[in-house]
Amino acid sequence: MMTLNNVIMITGKAVTLALFAPLVSGIIRKIKDTLRMRKGQSIFQPYYNIRKLFSKNEVISGNVSWIFYAAPVIIFVSTACALFMILMAQPGPDMKNGLAVLIAAFFVLGLGRFFLALAGLDAGSSFGGMGSSREMFISSFAEPAAFIAAFVLFMGGGNCFKISGLLAGIAIFMVTIAETSRIPIDNQETHLELTMVHEAMVLEYSGRSLALIELAAHIKQIVFFTLISWYFFSVLTLGCWSWLLFSAEIVFIGLIVALIEISVAKMRLFRVVDFLSFSFFIALVASIAAGLGL
Amino acid sequence: MINFLPKQLFLLDPLAIFFLAVIGLVCIPSAIFSIGYMREEPLKKKVLAWALLMVFVLSMCSVVTAGNLFSFLIFWELMSLASYFLVVFDYKHEKSINAGTIYLIMTHAGTACLMAAFFILYNYAHSFDYMAVRHAVVLLSPQMRNIVFLLLLVGFSTKAGVVPLHIWLPYAHPQAPSHVSSIMSGVMIKIAIYGMIRFFVTLLGPGPAWWGAAILVLGMISCLVGVIYALMDHDLKKLLAYHSVENIGIILLGVGAAMFFASLSIVPVAALSMCAGLYHLVNHALFKGLLFLCSGSVFKATGLRNIEKMGGLIKAMPMTAFFFLIGAMGISALPPLNGFVSEWLTFQAFFLGILQSPGAIKIFMVVSAAVLALTSGLAAACFVKAFGITFLAMPRSKRAQEAREADSSMKAGMALMAAGVVLFGLGAGFAAPLIFNISQSVLGIQATQISFHLVSIIPPAIAAFLLVLGGVIFLWFKFGLRTRQVQYNTWDCGYYALDSRNEYTATAFSKPFRIAFGFFLLPYRKSEKIRDSFYHIRKFTYETHTTLVFKRYFYEPLARMIYGAAFKMRKLQPGSIHLYILYIFITLVTLLALATVF
Amino acid sequence: MILNIILSGFLVVTFLLVISKRITALVRTFRTQSIFLFLYTLYMGISQRHTELFIVCGLVFVLKAVVIPFVLLRIMRRIDVEEDLGLLVNPQLSLIIALGFTYLSYLLAHNAMALKNSMESAAFVASITAVCVGFFIMVSRMKALGQIVGLLVMENGIFLAASAIAGGMPFFVEIALFFDVFVFVVIVEVFVYKVNRLFTHIDTSKMKSLKG
Repeated sequence: MMTLNNVIMITGKAVTLALFAPLVSGIIRKIKDTLRMRKGQSIFQPYYNIRKLFSKNEVISGNVSWIFYAAPVIIFVSTACALFMILMAQPGPDMKNGLAVLIAAFFVLGLGRFFLALAGLDAGSSFGGMGSSREMFISSFAEPAAFIAAFVLFMGGGNCFKISGLLAGIAIFMVTIAETSRIPIDNQETHLELTMVHEAMVLEYSGRSLALIELAAHIKQIVFFTLISWYFFSVLTLGCWSWLLFSAEIVFIGLIVALIEISVAKMRLFRVVDFLSFSFFIALVASIAAGLGL
Repeated sequence: MINFLPKQLFLLDPLAIFFLAVIGLVCIPSAIFSIGYMREEPLKKKVLAWALLMVFVLSMCSVVTAGNLFSFLIFWELMSLASYFLVVFDYKHEKSINAGTIYLIMTHAGTACLMAAFFILYNYAHSFDYMAVRHAVVLLSPQMRNIVFLLLLVGFSTKAGVVPLHIWLPYAHPQAPSHVSSIMSGVMIKIAIYGMIRFFVTLLGPGPAWWGAAILVLGMISCLVGVIYALMDHDLKKLLAYHSVENIGIILLGVGAAMFFASLSIVPVAALSMCAGLYHLVNHALFKGLLFLCSGSVFKATGLRNIEKMGGLIKAMPMTAFFFLIGAMGISALPPLNGFVSEWLTFQAFFLGILQSPGAIKIFMVVSAAVLALTSGLAAACFVKAFGITFLAMPRSKRAQEAREADSSMKAGMALMAAGVVLFGLGAGFAAPLIFNISQSVLGIQATQISFHLVSIIPPAIAAFLLVLGGVIFLWFKFGLRTRQVQYNTWDCGYYALDSRNEYTATAFSKPFRIAFGFFLLPYRKSEKIRDSFYHIRKFTYETHTTLVFKRYFYEPLARMIYGAAFKMRKLQPGSIHLYILYIFITLVTLLALATVF
Repeated sequence: MILNIILSGFLVVTFLLVISKRITALVRTFRTQSIFLFLYTLYMGISQRHTELFIVCGLVFVLKAVVIPFVLLRIMRRIDVEEDLGLLVNPQLSLIIALGFTYLSYLLAHNAMALKNSMESAAFVASITAVCVGFFIMVSRMKALGQIVGLLVMENGIFLAASAIAGGMPFFVEIALFFDVFVFVVIVEVFVYKVNRLFTHIDTSKMKSLKG
């Protein structure tokens, strides 16, 4: 099934995607700034940030245990692993195995999240605990929608703009917003402690650990964007121009995300349940449509 | 006429052997653990505990190897009684006695249902042997079969702790000594699953589709209710007990789907579902056993079960913390450990079922999969809470501060279980086909279209990936980077007196869930303010509770009804011996009259 | 492909109607739904090359997507009540119920109607869902505007069903229907205004107290 050739190709793809992942965040940032009539940072700013963080010293709380040290590495590695697996899972003739790998990729992302949440609790600050609690809350509600959307994709949704695929795509898009901590669920730009989720958990991190966590967040974003692209654009990713097209798709998805970010206000935490249960039910409707063969 | 002596005393088919293996996997490490755990008890108590434990384990072994209904029932009762005595082992506590009573009542109500079902079966088979029952099943009318099914379902569900019959489980499991909780939660409730598989699948044969659907629905309810209650509970052992309810639900999802697909004759999927269910059964036995042992170790070191009073134990008891982490990762289905493999297999079985089944069934399966996904997300949240509050950050009480690591036998017990958790994850390639064969023989089919190629590759591949890349980064950090690490306080907004009271508590951690599931949990709060004046509050206490819906709206009214009926019945007992003799006489005459009529 | 996008958009918006907690949100979502309906008729008009369809589609746009939402939002401004719609059923439960409607219409399309054409059945599912959701909104929202929008949503659903299954109602019936709906909204506007002046609220759940 997996020849050496295949493995090398997927490795190449994964490394390329991982390298370009911060760029996507930079582009989204730039689009937002442009739309808000700001000059904004360069699109390469995420790279500069990461380089800066790697060369800085780290400040570590005296209360922490080994979990705090291990967490950034586990988070980064598991996210990278999920990227690999999602590239292996690409919808194809072998539906069962494709789905199995995709679901395993979700579980691997869960591994990173688990340790991130633990690390949030480790320093003993209430911010970290608050962030962990909210992150686990949001992700546990996002999970069913993501799983059903994955099911629909391999039930024969996706491709050719079928209704089931489109609906499931909307569901997975909403899940993506939740998982990549974008407005209306979370806000990446602020450190206001009462609104933040992801930023609260990583508050104690600095230096190289923070760099790893940020890199992991960028990669996670590209994992989900790739997933979205299967629902909406898979019909286009054929032929020798596929890489160019794929990049255009990712940027397009980024554009949509940026548009949503600047035009919507952040939700109250408990409206998130409504938001995610909406995505869950849209995914269920998609599965009904898939059952009808639409 | 009555043939009490069955021909077949024992039956050692693959299913029985599988369950024997599960019993061994949990009981041996738990027994090793108990050496250290019971060390301070007086000799008399130690002897008693060991004797009861032996009876308990042997009775469980006998239940799964029993070859006829009669010995099944006898050993089943023995198992219940032995575990009852182990629950009330700490008989000086009123709590233990209460828990034991609830357990005894529930388990006997269940056994009564089993007895009724067995007598119906005996009535048709004229023998207690499994083989005779198997042949006699065709004689049962569909209605009779359904009645037998429902009776058995209630009986086994009570033992397994399926919602809404789970009520005894969160009381009884925490009260027993930890190694016994480990066996009760890890194995004893699985014996009920054994009963379900034995009777519903192998003896009563492939039933109508609604049997499987009913079990699937029960499984879904148990999953969600168990995990939601677990999130709300801050007693470490009670939390684990609620997780048993949840995991029984997940096992039932596999078993129910197997029965469902078998009745639709989608054979390979049925075998895969059964395999997923049985795999999860082993896994749950391992990680729940492990977690109970760890909680026992924590209890031994601190004397505490409320996680709000713990914290920072990872520094005092690093090994226990590490083992607990392994168990928590297993139960939260994190790859590459064992819980991941079985939940993953369950998802695959559901998906294959969706591909191969018609119309409306697809949506039923999708909903089941969604429930499983929600459950695993919530379980992960719950174990972040359990591990994070118990072991991380700063100690919240003096006892937690003075905790010491467990002794070597306890560590050995936990290490054995943890090794099992890891091995059943990484070695899925060996274990899954084996369990698949067992489930094929249980369902009585030969379907070998399922390939376990992916199952054998993915977990080790993930592990290898994590280790290699993680190792590379670790080495790079250690030797490649020239940055330093500075130790400082946790960020405290310039407060400079951050202590354990500023930490996030378990109650706070679970608050979003309490509000989101408020429609089911019905939370309420009590607050009390002692004021000096309107502006100055001297003391403020705040409590928040959730309503146990099933207890409040089902069991309490039921108990009241029974008490009420009992009080009315008291009129029959004036204390006169003549009257009592009259009662007996009337009964006799009525029976004779009835006998002549029929 | 375009039809698929339009229909899934219609379906998603229908579900959005169910979780709208505020009157303005409900009206705006209704407007979005009408725009999808307009796109649907436009697509039908282009593919079937009927002049009448273009007129109908223009009417849909002008009346349902522009005028009626505008009128409704104006009432809101004029009577100046609080925004809250007053949900008798919470959003999650509403979603479950709406999902039930979708499932029902799926069964209907699959078994009773035996629709072979996949596009037809898709439109059918969407339209029946919209009709049921309209009903549901009328039942479960306290404020009078909820009932109005519910009725309009139902009308949207029926319109979609008619054009999906029967290839559209006769031209004059459609025009008459539009006129009806428009008049309905205008009358209702006046009434809501009066009701609010009289009782200082438009909460229909309080109408029980009118009983003598």
